[in-house]
Amino acid sequence: MDKILRDKKAIFVFTAPAFLMFVVILVIPIFQMVYYSFCDYAALTPPEFIGLANYKKLLFKDATFRIALKNSIFFMIFSAVSQQIIGLVLAVLLTNIPKGRNVFKNIYYLPCVLSSAALGLLWAFMFNPKIGINQLLAKIGIKGPMWLMESKGFIVLPMWVIAFVALWQYVGQNMMLYMAQITGISRDIYEAAYIDGASKPKAFRYITMPLVKPMIVTSLSLNCIGSLKFFDLVYNMTQGGPNHRTEVLATELYAEGFNYFKYGYASAISVVLLILCLIVTLLVKKVIKVETYES
Amino acid sequence: MGDKGVTKTQRKKLSPVIIAIYVLLVVLAVIYIAPLLWMLSVSLKDNAEVMSAPFSLPKAMQFANYAEAWTLGKLGKALVNSVLVCGVTLIVSMFFGAMAAFAIGRMRWKLSEGMHTFFLIGMMVPVHCILIPLFVRFAKLGLTNSRFGLMLPYITFSLPMTIFLLTGFFRSMPGELFEAAAIDGCGIYRCFFKIALPLCRTGFFVSGLMTFVNNWNELLLAMVFISDPEKKTLPVTLTYFVGPYATNYVQMFAAIIIAIAPTVIVYCMFSNQIVEGLTTGAVKG
Amino acid sequence: MSKKKWISAALSMAMVTGMLSGAAVTVRADEAEEITWMFWDDLEATEDLITKGYKEVIDRYNTEYEGKYHVTPITTNLEEYDGKLNALIAAGQTPDCFICNPGPNMDVYVNAGSAADLTDILTNQEADWYGTFTDGIFERMTYDGKIMAVPTNFAAACVYYNTEIFEEVGVEVPATYDELLEVCKKIQEAGYAPISCSAGTAWCLSMVAGYLCDRQGVDLGAIASHEANWTDENCIAAGEKLKELSQYFQETAAGDSNDQATANFYNGEAAMLVQGSWAIAQINGNNPDFEGKCGVFQFPGIDGANDPNRMIVKTDNLMMSSTTEHQDAVIALMKTFTDETAQKYTAEVGGKFPIIKNIEIDYDAAPAQLKYVQDIMANATGTFGFYNESLASVEAGDCFDNAMVDIFLGNQTPEEAFQTVQTFYEENVWE
Repeated sequence: MDKILRDKKAIFVFTAPAFLMFVVILVIPIFQMVYYSFCDYAALTPPEFIGLANYKKLLFKDATFRIALKNSIFFMIFSAVSQQIIGLVLAVLLTNIPKGRNVFKNIYYLPCVLSSAALGLLWAFMFNPKIGINQLLAKIGIKGPMWLMESKGFIVLPMWVIAFVALWQYVGQNMMLYMAQITGISRDIYEAAYIDGASKPKAFRYITMPLVKPMIVTSLSLNCIGSLKFFDLVYNMTQGGPNHRTEVLATELYAEGFNYFKYGYASAISVVLLILCLIVTLLVKKVIKVETYES
Repeated sequence: MGDKGVTKTQRKKLSPVIIAIYVLLVVLAVIYIAPLLWMLSVSLKDNAEVMSAPFSLPKAMQFANYAEAWTLGKLGKALVNSVLVCGVTLIVSMFFGAMAAFAIGRMRWKLSEGMHTFFLIGMMVPVHCILIPLFVRFAKLGLTNSRFGLMLPYITFSLPMTIFLLTGFFRSMPGELFEAAAIDGCGIYRCFFKIALPLCRTGFFVSGLMTFVNNWNELLLAMVFISDPEKKTLPVTLTYFVGPYATNYVQMFAAIIIAIAPTVIVYCMFSNQIVEGLTTGAVKG
Repeated sequence: MSKKKWISAALSMAMVTGMLSGAAVTVRADEAEEITWMFWDDLEATEDLITKGYKEVIDRYNTEYEGKYHVTPITTNLEEYDGKLNALIAAGQTPDCFICNPGPNMDVYVNAGSAADLTDILTNQEADWYGTFTDGIFERMTYDGKIMAVPTNFAAACVYYNTEIFEEVGVEVPATYDELLEVCKKIQEAGYAPISCSAGTAWCLSMVAGYLCDRQGVDLGAIASHEANWTDENCIAAGEKLKELSQYFQETAAGDSNDQATANFYNGEAAMLVQGSWAIAQINGNNPDFEGKCGVFQFPGIDGANDPNRMIVKTDNLMMSSTTEHQDAVIALMKTFTDETAQKYTAEVGGKFPIIKNIEIDYDAAPAQLKYVQDIMANATGTFGFYNESLASVEAGDCFDNAMVDIFLGNQTPEEAFQTVQTFYEENVWE
């Protein structure tokens, strides 16, 4: 048996296809991207090495990139906080109702499996001042704001709108993760706690929370990376407008790369995005681990 | 705070707290369902009616919207393309993923842990990062504007999750099974095809579901790679309605309905299994 | 057992060779020379009459040259057009023939060597064809004496207005900017949006800005050679007027796309629309009843400033790929686009101006608006391009467009906005 499991040839045959694809489609392009980011490369002409010029322009001169970075970070923090909290609350509520748990659960989860391109279009028209929500508000005498067209403020209103739509779409994911964890907690623990006179909130604080914590790492990293690379909803709701105020890293990258065909410059944005993703993943792992040890 | 502590007598009379929770949950459910129903109603109106009475029920059912959206948006072709691209991606990534996962999870070699980590790192890389180099390379090879060209990155980006999940499933299988097989004279390939694969059905279901949902809805890569209207996938076809038909709301909504209908129908039929499967995937991931 | 191994090995090999070779084999059904033509609107789905005319040209070409040439259109929407075209060029799949805007947009393809030099074909081989074109029409398509594109029509930007609303409110066509403000004010009081404009599609707003700049006497030539600055008084004055005028835009101007803004006008929600004459085809195509109540006037002048009779004009142009193997087929296509039938359609149905001489246009058959635009053109003393198509580069054009949108949104004062453009020029253009 052992001999069979150590068959080098078989190991090679089994891993080679996946490994090769990974190297050709993922690893090599990453190195190429890093190289391009140091180049002046305009699609129709060959790349030309220019050192750090792209990064200098990106970080010090490009106002739109700064907006995109700001929006992406806002979006990440907002999504992480709101989706985690509301997801957890929903999970707790759902595990506590006697009937209909599955129905609610499936309803809340539905948008997660739908195309965000389609849902983006739907919500864009919901927030269209001529037909959607503002018509409803007008019926009760409120003049709704220009949801997707305001351009004032540190974080513009359309960005908040998009963040709420994302919350609507993806909170089900977090809810499910937490539900899976909570229902996995043995009922004996709770019963023992109740016999000892623990109240429900106390049980939540001292039993549910600590046991759910490992799940937070998974759910939070998924959340953060997902929101950093967010593209579909923004593209279909505002296309980065008004006047680039809702640009995020991914739409900015798309615009620079595929509207202006500045491959070098767009690669520099990709590098920033990749670094952010790595930092965030490590940070989440680190921070949560420390907490787990403390409690 | 599991509800299992609640005794039967408590269950009969609903406490005010539970009622409040129900009210909240129902309101939320309305927020989830209403926009979808609204979209359905708008898709059956004509454009003038959308402007004058967006929230009333359609006066006369305009089923023609669907026919027009179907032909104008080339939705039939898009549907075929999406099924083709996602289907092939699913099969190939499952197969390659299972092979690699089997080697990593079941076989004994020095670098197996290293290989595992190598694939896992792939989960952290956003697809956007390789967009440009991949596009440049594929353009030179004539793989842009080709469904095959789109499948390659789809497969690659589905592999980490698949390998991760399946490795877990293979590891949890009892070793005696394989030992017994080996004694019967089974080779490693036979072990893989005859024992490991059939036992891993849940694993395939879970990772296949995640792969399919992700790729079915993928927009950015498809948008960049495919410009030929004959080869566009469903999500890309929808962005088409942002531009020229921005003033033709009814057809746009009809197109959206057509595009999400297959998912919604499948979801409604198997929602419990799907939700469970996707959660298992995410919990393990 | 080894069979299984071979299957998996063969599969992985197939993937790898597929990746490397990219087996893209096109099978041709017949012997006709197959060419592609790329265009920025959907020929099937459109209500736009110019696009419908183009579809007729394509159909006519495919029938006329059946068995010899065949053209397949590649269509996209206007917003994505440049991106998709660039993608195809970068991939070495340049369409044999493609439509292109003049200015920096065309510069890109000329400089990258993607477009074929048509000088010899036009002036020698096909001199008769060349002779049919309006004099001077090739000026903006000529680079170092080489003709790089063939125009299919040209359009002029004017102000379209809803005569019913004007009558109802009791206002006359304004001749000066101050009168325009008066008219706007009255229309707004009557409960209509005075002007429909799109800031979501930046070049639409920028067209208004371009007119204001020109009326204020901004000289793009002088700016290009740095004899004048974007921070000069006349630019700032134009910016202030844009700010002033923009309070009369429809409420949703910040987010409306070009098509939505035009729709506001032909749906009767807004009284005026500043657009190129291509809008005629769009207006009449979407709302045939509107033709009778759509008037046209030239963009008002500013008292004591520049000549008020200068017009923004723009041609649509066809370029031939420098790598095409089917020159004859492409030239035949270009000829079909510029023959009398197509050009008559352009004017009489499409509402744009033909680019060939000696053509009898039945203005009674043409959209009413075209005649008005024609009358305005007859008095024009000079023409200039769209600002975003007349600046140093595509990026410079975008920088200008965005600055103008920022003025409108109130995120920047006119001084700040023009300073942004000035800085861009200092860093990227004047070196």
